[in-house]
Amino acid sequence: MTKVVIIDNDEEIRARVVSHTGAEHRRLANKVMEEGLKQAGLSFDEISYVIATGYGRINVPFADRQITELTCHARGVVNFLPSVRLAIDIGGQDAKGLKINDGKLIDFAMSDKCAAGTGRFLEVLAAALGLKVEDLGNISLKSANKVPISSTCTVFAQQEVISRLSEGVPLEDIVAGLHDAIASRVAGMVKRLKIEPDVVFTGGVAKNIGVVKALEKNLGCEVFVPEEPLLSGALGAALLGKEITLKTLAEGEPIPRGERRLEEATFFK
Amino acid sequence: MVEVTSKGLTRVREIYQDRPHRAKELRAEDKKVIGYLCLYPVVEMMTAVDLVPYRMFGDMREPITRADTYMPTVVCPFLRSLLDLGLKGKYEFLDGVVMAHTCDVGAQVPGLWNTFVETHYSHFIDTPHTIHEAAQKQEKGELQDFQKSLESLTGKELTRERLREAIEAHNQQRALVRELYDLRKPDPPLISGTETLQVVVAVMSLPVEEGSKLLKEVIDEVKERRNGPPKKSARLLVWGPVIHETPLIEMIESLDANMVMDDTCVGSRAYFADIKLTDDPLDGLAYHYLVELKCPRTFREGVYGETSKEHMTDLKSRFNYLGDYAKEWRVNGVILQALRYCDSHGYEVPVVKDYLANIGLPSIYLEHDYTEGALAPLRTRVQGFLEVIS
Repeated sequence: MTKVVIIDNDEEIRARVVSHTGAEHRRLANKVMEEGLKQAGLSFDEISYVIATGYGRINVPFADRQITELTCHARGVVNFLPSVRLAIDIGGQDAKGLKINDGKLIDFAMSDKCAAGTGRFLEVLAAALGLKVEDLGNISLKSANKVPISSTCTVFAQQEVISRLSEGVPLEDIVAGLHDAIASRVAGMVKRLKIEPDVVFTGGVAKNIGVVKALEKNLGCEVFVPEEPLLSGALGAALLGKEITLKTLAEGEPIPRGERRLEEATFFK
Repeated sequence: MVEVTSKGLTRVREIYQDRPHRAKELRAEDKKVIGYLCLYPVVEMMTAVDLVPYRMFGDMREPITRADTYMPTVVCPFLRSLLDLGLKGKYEFLDGVVMAHTCDVGAQVPGLWNTFVETHYSHFIDTPHTIHEAAQKQEKGELQDFQKSLESLTGKELTRERLREAIEAHNQQRALVRELYDLRKPDPPLISGTETLQVVVAVMSLPVEEGSKLLKEVIDEVKERRNGPPKKSARLLVWGPVIHETPLIEMIESLDANMVMDDTCVGSRAYFADIKLTDDPLDGLAYHYLVELKCPRTFREGVYGETSKEHMTDLKSRFNYLGDYAKEWRVNGVILQALRYCDSHGYEVPVVKDYLANIGLPSIYLEHDYTEGALAPLRTRVQGFLEVIS
């Protein structure tokens, strides 16, 4: 997903756009930005500072600066809940644990190159079960007897699910088992950071109530989810952009600008 | 004799980009070139009987297609790649190989190599894994066997005199490498981590005198030049197993960081301790290779002969050299990197992290699987780490 958040001086959100990235993602960032500008009723020149973050951050030719999604997510989450000590973000690519102290990122853990413990795991298995990924959460809430899914590998988990189906295990019990598998894997990763409440959960997977419940059970504490869990990284980037701009202006320095070409990335040319 | 026209860092890059080229030239001059795996084969003994020691590596860019028939896929990808190259005939230019019981997988490679790769000469040094006196005696015995093996290969007697001369030549080279590393102490460093790695790889591909000559050229050039690395916020130390290709270091140095020091075996580990000249030179060699080479493949305790119960005392005695490096090279962050499935280094990571945290040095652990393709997630980790420590 490619997201744009534009904020004003009062930290009011003037535009929020979430768009499918797809294989053409190098060409897409400027389109999403243009949509954001339209929503905000602003021209590109009126934007004080642009921060690019996430996997595609190196392919945004109109950004003034790149900051990793780790720092941006932390900033976004602190804005949502200033007392946060641990943020968990589960997206389509990876899962991250962010340890935060006094509103600052102090340590982090990231899942490795493996789909287990990410949104991709749920996408693949939802497809195998013939379900929509957005329906998984509510389906799992019906389960009274979740089945343990012991394979951490997505491909093996798929085989395991199919054999459970052929044993006649109800769908909701399998889905609940999948949620527990992803939650226990991510909990294992973030436990290395020594968990302290408050815990905030963001990313696309945070929209799944089943995973939220499973994560609370695995961590043994309440987990807070912002209203728009997909936008915390982009919002954090916007807030950091505002801070950098104000700090630079206060120091009487010119704002350090990038090339700012609001056009397709020309990475391959 | 082949005329070498290029010098210094230009020559380094030529050798780095085509390592076998010089080895093949040397063979055409009737020199015998012997490949060695990891740091444990004793290069001084090879030099002493006029053999050219040539450090063997895998190739990150070459897909592993043959080795998986002979080795499981869940072991060290560097060693899998090395065997793969052997099976594909890419080490045919060597006159032989010397390997050692470096780690459990490393100990399997020589057997496979002898069976499935055509080799003119091969020798295996069964290096023990502790530093007790009994182990040192065993190591000396292994070196006595190695001596006999080299003498029968070359028909030359490996006299104490010859061995002393070779040790002196290699110690001189060690001093030159340390001199080169001193040029990384200023801020910004005069030579980048990427360039330093290329220099060390080149030196490990050449006869000792030729390598030392190249080092002198590089040191002179680096001292004089004005286009060294730019100043960056972070000064990093990189720790871990074999790292002999530059993409990872280039990625780190493309961010707001200079890599100013290392603790790896294609770096400081090979050069930071001199070999003591003992009456029987084999004593000094056995002590050096077993006790002074600090690879996690060797188990060492806090108190000699007993495992300390006090965690931090134990860690300090094992890793204080890292603290000293950090002070001398003004390091403000450590990247612990390991190849996937490297058990020796993997087990060491939590304790090294503990030690570094205790001396107030932030660190991050990166695991990678010997490919260039998957650097993007590592880039995010390193950049995130730099943001955290800045």
